[in-house]
Amino acid sequence: MLYEYEIDYDTRNSYEMGLNEAFWQFLVIPEENDTQELTYWHFENDLDEKNSVSENGLGFKTVQVRSKKELDHIKFNAHFKLIKKEINPFDFDLPLDINEERKLVDSLDFRVDYEPYLRKTKFTQLLEEHKSIYAFDPKKSIFENLTELNHWAYGHLYFKTGVTDVNTSLDEIIENRHGVCQDFTHLFCAIAKHHGVPARYVSGYLHQGHGFFGDSQMHAWAEAFVPNVGWIGFDPTNNVLANHNHIKVCHGKDYIDCAPLKGVVYTLGKNETEYTVQVKASQQQ
Amino acid sequence: MGTTEDKSIFSSYIKKDGLFDEVFDKNGDVKSVYQKLLDLYGTRTIDDYVNLNNKAKSSFFNQGITFQVYGDKQSQEKIFPFDLFPRIISTDEWEIIEKGAIQRNIALNHFLWDVYHDKKIVKDKVVPIELLSSSPNYLHQMMGVDPPNQIYNHISGTDIIKHSDGNYYVLEDNIRCPSGVSYVICNRTALKRALFGVFNHYKTHSVTNYAENLLHLLETAKPHGVDAPVTVVITPGMFNSAYYEHSYLAKAMGVELVEGRDLFVENDFVYMKTTQGPVRVDVVYRRIDDLFLDPMEFSPDSALGVPGIFAAYRKGNVTLANAPGTGVADDKAIYTYMPDIIKYYLDEEPILKNVHTYHCSRPKELQYVLDNIKDLVIKPVDEAGGYGISIGNRLTKDEIERVKSEVKANPRKYVAQPIMSLSVHPTYIDQKESFEQRHVDLRTFTVLGKDEQFVLKGGLTRVALKEGNLIVNSSQGGGSKDTWVLKQ
Repeated sequence: MLYEYEIDYDTRNSYEMGLNEAFWQFLVIPEENDTQELTYWHFENDLDEKNSVSENGLGFKTVQVRSKKELDHIKFNAHFKLIKKEINPFDFDLPLDINEERKLVDSLDFRVDYEPYLRKTKFTQLLEEHKSIYAFDPKKSIFENLTELNHWAYGHLYFKTGVTDVNTSLDEIIENRHGVCQDFTHLFCAIAKHHGVPARYVSGYLHQGHGFFGDSQMHAWAEAFVPNVGWIGFDPTNNVLANHNHIKVCHGKDYIDCAPLKGVVYTLGKNETEYTVQVKASQQQ
Repeated sequence: MGTTEDKSIFSSYIKKDGLFDEVFDKNGDVKSVYQKLLDLYGTRTIDDYVNLNNKAKSSFFNQGITFQVYGDKQSQEKIFPFDLFPRIISTDEWEIIEKGAIQRNIALNHFLWDVYHDKKIVKDKVVPIELLSSSPNYLHQMMGVDPPNQIYNHISGTDIIKHSDGNYYVLEDNIRCPSGVSYVICNRTALKRALFGVFNHYKTHSVTNYAENLLHLLETAKPHGVDAPVTVVITPGMFNSAYYEHSYLAKAMGVELVEGRDLFVENDFVYMKTTQGPVRVDVVYRRIDDLFLDPMEFSPDSALGVPGIFAAYRKGNVTLANAPGTGVADDKAIYTYMPDIIKYYLDEEPILKNVHTYHCSRPKELQYVLDNIKDLVIKPVDEAGGYGISIGNRLTKDEIERVKSEVKANPRKYVAQPIMSLSVHPTYIDQKESFEQRHVDLRTFTVLGKDEQFVLKGGLTRVALKEGNLIVNSSQGGGSKDTWVLKQ
């Protein structure tokens, strides 16, 4: 089955003291992959500046806006239409042997090939005292362990907005046990990596027809690598595997690689950022 | 100018046992390459020398050749102490140094290509993966990126010492933003001015051709489709300790010196702001560290870099030298694998020796280091400029305990080496008004271009001005000497 989505990303950034030179980069364009096809895109800013499409260091498309005018805000809108294929997250053959699977994951070649997503970052590094917070069951397959981890993370944290921000460390999140989708995702990635399973942070849009968390904002979930299968999406905020409601923009080691907006502004004073996201399922075929 | 026996310049020079003196052999006789120099200096007195030295010093001030030391309260500019008595290297010895430096830097370049592509050296268990995965300079953004001409370390500074056994050893490979070459050139200028009569008696290789060679080799890495590339030098700014050098090199190459805010990126092309409008920039000799290069990719709060420049680089629209990610090989832990790295990629024996190194990350070696700390130099793997180095036999009891606990707490961060006895060279000491033995090293400069390499025939001989001190970095109170490489 195919799903057709319309996505709107709207942001307004205002600068108390004003500025006369700035550079913004938006990482909001849905990735094109086996399950996603972008059929329409349009970008607009209210500064009358060019929206240039570029690529970030991990190969994901970005939109860059540069301005040399005097201004005190920028409004930016991105509009997309996208066709998404139905995904059955369980539609794959599991590797046969649990021991074989472990042996592969522990092998040097594997650890070298997947090093970028086994590497711990500031947001995916468990403190010594947290390393035993979740143990993998050696009698179960990696996929089963990941599914249970997904479920556990969902239960361990309470979804609560406004209590964490981009600077909150993983140990605070583990101790305080609440957070938003990016915190659930960092926790999931940290534990998967700790058990030798490559995991990456995914940023994207969630079609929230089903009462999921993560509405009106960018969503985050994780992808973990299951040997002989590939990267599988886990959404610990919602205790589901990523499916046709998850529209992927990009992935990276953690939030830092995936921040939807990065900017360099030459100004003093405060700035404020607001943004909204709307995902509509326009038609089902 | 009179010559009195007891005031001749080496009258009170003391040759200590056990030190390798660059000028005098074991029997106290002058080595042949220095003979002519000593004959000429021999007719002079210490007073004559002091006169000349002062003249040279004031010329440094007038030229503005200064550097700054981090952490100094007043952060004042200092002149780089310069000694008029040159170091001389014979043709034969130089050949070893030059071949050895090229061999090392080509091997490092192979290593960089490999760790950003197939990672064979890690899969073949020559270099442990932990060295990469724990390095903040191993940039995932460079995976699979093909830099122009497949060159990463366009510019390398290889630090070499002569040990008391008479062999050359490499102490460090500096391939991020090695500095010091401007002092080499200025030392030569000052020396020629002060001692033209002496200089003229030797056939010495020129060092003033560095900038033209650098520019030529950088331009061999110009982006596709560019005929006459526009090259710039980018500096973090005037508060950087090497700002003098940045401006010197830009001037000597005849290119613009820019800061991050002088450049901008549009549609993945880099432009320089000028009074005549934007000018496209093709090659950037960057003296900004990777993590500050582009706030869109690396440290997001860096105001030094150019937003978007990395995307332009990845697209092949601009060349950055050295390539981003080069720093992963500029790590004292990688250094210890250099003999293996050279063998692995070039199937050659290293021409220049490595100092034996103990990895504190290996439990056995850590124990050895803790037990023998008195005979070792302890170095953090990721600091430049001689910061954070502890020399075992110079530490007090308390300091030893402190260093031990630091090493134990973070073993991956430290390596240890036996205390090498750097060779000594007669050096004029202001306060004593006489020549004394001081330890020296040699920073050489290698530039890799498309199918050609250039090693500056000379280099920066750094002198530890404090008696007995083994750390020669300018930030640690070192000085320098002009270095003459003789023609056949």
